Amino acid sequence: MTVASYLFVAACLFGIGLYGLLQRRSLVAMLIALELMLAAVSINVVALTTLAGRDGSLGQVVALILVGVAASEAAIALSLFVAIHRARHNIDVEQLSELTG
Amino acid sequence: MVFAGSAAMALFGALLAVGLKNIFHNILGFALAMLGVAGVFLSLGSDFLAAVFVLVYVGAVAIAMVYAVMLSYPLDLPQRRRSVPKIAAAALLAAIVTGALWLVVRRAPWPPPLGAPDDVAPAQTGYRFLTDYVLAFELISVLLVVAMMGAVMVARRTREGGSGR
Amino acid sequence: MSGPVLAAVLAQAAPLAACLTILIGLRARPRAAAGLATLSLVVALGATAYLVVVVAVPNVHWVAQTTWLPVADGPALAFGVFFDPLAATMSFVVAFITLAVMVYSLGYMAGDPGFARYFGFLALFAWAMLGLVLASNLLQVLVFWELVGLASFLLIGFWFEQSAPAAAARKAFLMTRAGDVGFLLGVLLLIRALGNATIPDVIAAAGPAGIFSPRFTATVAILLLMGVIGKSAQGPLFTWLPDAMEGPTPVSALLHSATMVAAGVFLVARLHGFFAAAPEVMRGLLWLALVTALATATMAMVAEDIKRVLAYSTISQLGYMLMALAAGSVTAGFFHLTTHAGFKALLFLASGIFIHHAHSNEMRVIATKQPRSQRAGVIGLVSGSLALAGVIPFSGYFSKEAVLATLGHNAGTAALALAYLGAGLTAYYTFRMVWLTIPVGAVGAVVTAHHEPSGGDRAMAASVLVLSALTLVLGYLGGWLAARLGHEGVEHGPFAFGAGPLVALALVAAGIALAWVEFGRRGAARAGFAERVPALRDFFGDNWYLDRLYGATLVRWGTALSRAARWHDHTVLDGASDGVASGTVWGGRILARVQGGYVQAYVAVAISLIAALGVWLVRRGGLP
Repeated sequence: MTVASYLFVAACLFGIGLYGLLQRRSLVAMLIALELMLAAVSINVVALTTLAGRDGSLGQVVALILVGVAASEAAIALSLFVAIHRARHNIDVEQLSELTG
Repeated sequence: MVFAGSAAMALFGALLAVGLKNIFHNILGFALAMLGVAGVFLSLGSDFLAAVFVLVYVGAVAIAMVYAVMLSYPLDLPQRRRSVPKIAAAALLAAIVTGALWLVVRRAPWPPPLGAPDDVAPAQTGYRFLTDYVLAFELISVLLVVAMMGAVMVARRTREGGSGR
Repeated sequence: MSGPVLAAVLAQAAPLAACLTILIGLRARPRAAAGLATLSLVVALGATAYLVVVVAVPNVHWVAQTTWLPVADGPALAFGVFFDPLAATMSFVVAFITLAVMVYSLGYMAGDPGFARYFGFLALFAWAMLGLVLASNLLQVLVFWELVGLASFLLIGFWFEQSAPAAAARKAFLMTRAGDVGFLLGVLLLIRALGNATIPDVIAAAGPAGIFSPRFTATVAILLLMGVIGKSAQGPLFTWLPDAMEGPTPVSALLHSATMVAAGVFLVARLHGFFAAAPEVMRGLLWLALVTALATATMAMVAEDIKRVLAYSTISQLGYMLMALAAGSVTAGFFHLTTHAGFKALLFLASGIFIHHAHSNEMRVIATKQPRSQRAGVIGLVSGSLALAGVIPFSGYFSKEAVLATLGHNAGTAALALAYLGAGLTAYYTFRMVWLTIPVGAVGAVVTAHHEPSGGDRAMAASVLVLSALTLVLGYLGGWLAARLGHEGVEHGPFAFGAGPLVALALVAAGIALAWVEFGRRGAARAGFAERVPALRDFFGDNWYLDRLYGATLVRWGTALSRAARWHDHTVLDGASDGVASGTVWGGRILARVQGGYVQAYVAVAISLIAALGVWLVRRGGLP
């Protein structure tokens, strides 16, 4: 498999995640989409370093770091969602916009 | 072969994750997508990474999401209708971005494939972590601790019933 | 610094120091303020007396200047003192009258809450007036001229809580300012032509050996005279002076009879060499002053307020002084200025005693309040009136004769005749005032037991009596003055007594007799011939309707212009800045819609931009 095919797949996954991020109303759904995008990026990095670069372990390192970051981000985000729900009984992103001009 | 199947599973799961209405179905689709991504990593020779993905995402993140949904989802309120312009705009933008990425990938002069890639040994990754990239290693551990503490603190109930402080 | 220069500086510095100290520090201590002011005037009096003694030779002057404002490639403006016998004498007169008025004010203004402020302002006036007299160049004169106007404003409007004094102060300031515009233009023209405005240089430049053309001299003369007309209340700019009587009576005595209004006359006398080079302008001044003198004499004939009678009389006598100067005699004009300062101040202070006693300015009201009980006031009023009317041997007789003689020699028969008529009218209205105020006969004739005079009353009486004595003495100083001033060539012996004085005395007697018939004798109707004709009474009594003319024209135009300016300020200027402000707010509101708090919009925008950036970078071939 060429590098390009991996990158295509990653791009599609990224696009799907972007669609979800922009379109879903629920905060949790947005988080899911965000995680998809991060996964796509991981695929990109690993594919590039193993197939088109010299040092495959660098890609592993980066991808593992990404996993760590994504996981901690998800943890915090989820507890924030819980807190928001407690405060507003609502996690619809369209209703949570108070910062209007 | 592994690649094709895993890629298809990943994309299919992603579509489920963003397309279905029921949030639990979305989470399940997400889990499926992550399994697919793990398969892709397998086809790249990154066994360790694939295992980590399954453990972390499917085993932890998705479960956490389920918990969060249980604690926050307004199941008793009626669903509001989705607005078509918003769907169309989001789809358009996503398509554009994806198309742009495709374009770039297509035009780039990639070196010819070398055949099946070598497996990358986890030992070597670990070695890298503790020598060249030890700073990143430390930072990620700090980040994980902070995230844990933060998550607990934010979601804690105080005596009055508000959010944690 | 030589002796006389030091004296000149000291004469100005002492009142200035007193003024600043009082106004800054002594507001709450009226007695200290009054004492300090009076003391400073004693010092000034001493300094000016020294000047009079030392600066005795005519046509010799002292100048001491320092450069005040060096201008690159241009004239350097100087600041200093300049005096000759004329200035020395004038400064002495100013200091003397100011001191007398201050002593009088200790009694008159006692108990007033603004007592300290009053003395501070009097000291300010003294400084400014002495500075004006002793100034070395015309720009400095102008500065002090304006300061004197400021002091006048502050003192006329001393009781500013009431509306009439405040309005009178504004009117005085604005009218004299109108004249001062001309003065400033004249000074600027001189500086531009000559490089400086030092008085001896200016006079020399206008003379036969000087560099000014006759047309230039005449133009500058007219401009300078505009200031004189404003300050000395002649011609069209006189109506502020009757209204200025709203100020305290001592202020009227000092500023508006003896000194400040005489500053214009002093200026003409000082620049006599200059004005002599513009004979047509002098001719115009003579007729202007003559008309003013006669007109205001008619106004004095119907006035009911004693201070207004004296105000009109002041304007009239200032006209006589200017006539003498215009006809060529500095000595006659200045002599009349000096005697007038003496007896007019006396008349005001004496009237002040009556006003203080009767709590009214109206002569007929004073008449009912036992005026004869005020002995000093009676003496002052009668002696001052005799001097004003020009009865021998009082001081006014000698100076008025000098004026009339000058007119007779230089001004032509018509002017002289009218001047004689004015003298007769002067006598008439003066004694009308006397007999209206101190009636002979049944009205208020009984002198009841009088109360013990207080210290304040004694102060008032003392100054009045001193000035009364002067009216008997000053007349004989004419010769001394002429010797001091000694202007060459221009005069033709103003003290040559001939048939002229007899005619004058006859007219004076006629005027007094008419007044006696109408007001003085027992059973008189106490109504003058002018008062019986309502049209005349209204015309004379209302400043010959000049104020109404001004109100209908200048005031109305000025108000309309002000309204237009205010509209412009509110609508255009304020509107513009408000418009900028509201435009900014509106723009901000529009921009704020970018930040709607809608996360997905943010993401969309960010992703689009990053994608575009990425594509662009890739097409460029990487980062630079």
